[in-house]
Amino acid sequence: MVVEKKGLALLKENKMEDNVEMDINQEMSEYEPESESDEEDDEHVKLIEPSKTAVYNTDGLLDKLGDISWPDNVGWIHKLSIDIDQEQQVDVNDDLARELAFFNQALEGTKRAFEKLQSMGLPFLRPSDYYAEMVKTDSHMEKVKGRLLAEKRNIEEAEERRKARESKRLAKEIQAQKLKERAKQKKEDIESVKKWRKQRQKSGFAGGDKDGEMDFSFEDGKGFERSSKKRPGVAPGDRSGGKARQGGKGKIQKKRQFRDSKFGFGGRKGLKKQNTTETANDFRDFKRGNAKGNKKRKM
Amino acid sequence: MGKKRKHGETEVAAAPVKKDDAAPERPQRTLVGWKDKNNNEARESASAVGFRNKEKVLVTCSRRINFRYRHLMLNVVSLLPHCKKDNKVESKETKGATLNELVELKSCSSCLFFECRKRKDLYLWMAKCPNGPSVKFLVNAVHTMEELKLTGNHLQGSRPLLTFSSNFDHNAHWKLLKEMITQIFGVPKEHRKSKPHHDHVFVFSIVDDHIWFRNYQISVPHIESDKIARGGLDNMTLIEVGPRFCLNPIKIFGGSFGGPTLYENPFYISPNQIRALEKRKKAGKFAKKVKAKTRRKMHEQSNPLEPDEFAEMWKE
Repeated sequence: MVVEKKGLALLKENKMEDNVEMDINQEMSEYEPESESDEEDDEHVKLIEPSKTAVYNTDGLLDKLGDISWPDNVGWIHKLSIDIDQEQQVDVNDDLARELAFFNQALEGTKRAFEKLQSMGLPFLRPSDYYAEMVKTDSHMEKVKGRLLAEKRNIEEAEERRKARESKRLAKEIQAQKLKERAKQKKEDIESVKKWRKQRQKSGFAGGDKDGEMDFSFEDGKGFERSSKKRPGVAPGDRSGGKARQGGKGKIQKKRQFRDSKFGFGGRKGLKKQNTTETANDFRDFKRGNAKGNKKRKM
Repeated sequence: MGKKRKHGETEVAAAPVKKDDAAPERPQRTLVGWKDKNNNEARESASAVGFRNKEKVLVTCSRRINFRYRHLMLNVVSLLPHCKKDNKVESKETKGATLNELVELKSCSSCLFFECRKRKDLYLWMAKCPNGPSVKFLVNAVHTMEELKLTGNHLQGSRPLLTFSSNFDHNAHWKLLKEMITQIFGVPKEHRKSKPHHDHVFVFSIVDDHIWFRNYQISVPHIESDKIARGGLDNMTLIEVGPRFCLNPIKIFGGSFGGPTLYENPFYISPNQIRALEKRKKAGKFAKKVKAKTRRKMHEQSNPLEPDEFAEMWKE
């Protein structure tokens, strides 16, 4: 059977490449809509139909298996291998389900292996005080730890930000509520006062001046007006808080006046400091001796 | 060398004695189901006194390998205390012969050869050395141990537990692969560089006709090294250590790095073909566009618009 297959393979070998290409072409034409998913993970692309020329030499495989396998009576402790049933078909493209399946396999396998080891009475767990070289170095584990911590911190910060945002929104709402309430209160108050007034008018000022406690100042409409009277002694543009008019300290005032007259007060200063023809031609202040230093510098 | 061998022999002599000691004082409280098996195993081990796993794996890679794949190789080296790492291998044509020579030279019995092509495709050769078989895999979905997402850690050189999904026993080629994997990835008992405890577990699982590899650290709350605290097994958690990779078997050969083909993956498309296909698809898109354009032009030419009766309306 094997020989037959091989012969077939040889016959078809030169055709095979064409076949494969054709297959691909067919795929292209037939499976256009699927092509996008293929692009997403090109790692798992495979032929839709198995190629017919593929070799499968069962006898040879089993022969080789017999050649390399250890004797049957080798103890389990040499192999440490455990077979686990996969309960259901795992979807490859669902990362979470796939990893979960692997994890479960490992967990189940470990449990069984530990039971076996325990029943054999062999020590198998690392004591807490057993220190030896690990696969990952300490510096690497430090990095891992740092990353975990950073992740945690990020999450916490995000949480805090979210909370702050929420509380802000809540505060805003409360504030709006308060304002509304206040406005309502005001309205009600005014309403009630109006009502009361009307009532009073209707009754023809029956109470008169007798009920003095109801004689509000704002009743006349004066209460809300600003007093037109100015504050005494303050000029409208005065920023000194009314001190300018006071002028109580006569001595200081005089001194100031004297100094102003001596040194000048206000006005442009630029013109005073500029040269004019007179000052430019004036050499009185020029000293020749200064040239010495320059000479030295040149040398 | 001589010294080493002597050491090994003494170990061999010591090992069975230990087992004999352990056998009678087995605790009675174990599960009944296991107990019978253990008895059998004890007998087996007694009968298999002569057996000693002398597996040695040569790990190398081709030249021009990617850093990522090189790191993967180094991770594998760190996981297998019974391996020897060798320099990168250059030659392409006589690869099989040179590799076989190299393995023989290093007195190894199996070989993991990471072959990188075009700086993006990684192939893994797994070979039993003097006389076969050998497997060529395409390696996908590589994650190295350096990734910070994989937070576990375990002793370097402790013997891993190997777990296989049950679909390894369905077909002849999977059976063969399983045997090869147990021999290559299983650390020999009482190996010189191995450490005594079991704190990590390998997962080999076939999903979608690919072999997926995972490595987990086992963390169990425990008091002593041979007793698990009450309910400890339930509290056991696994933390992934890495690396991760996914092997897609391409071919199985009868010899080591060559020989008659015993198995060929009928679903396999090489990454080159995939890339070519993608390119062709893009090219097809453009051609289609051009075609549509010309067709439209032809159509417009063949069916000219009728002259508009209102065209002259505003000219006066």
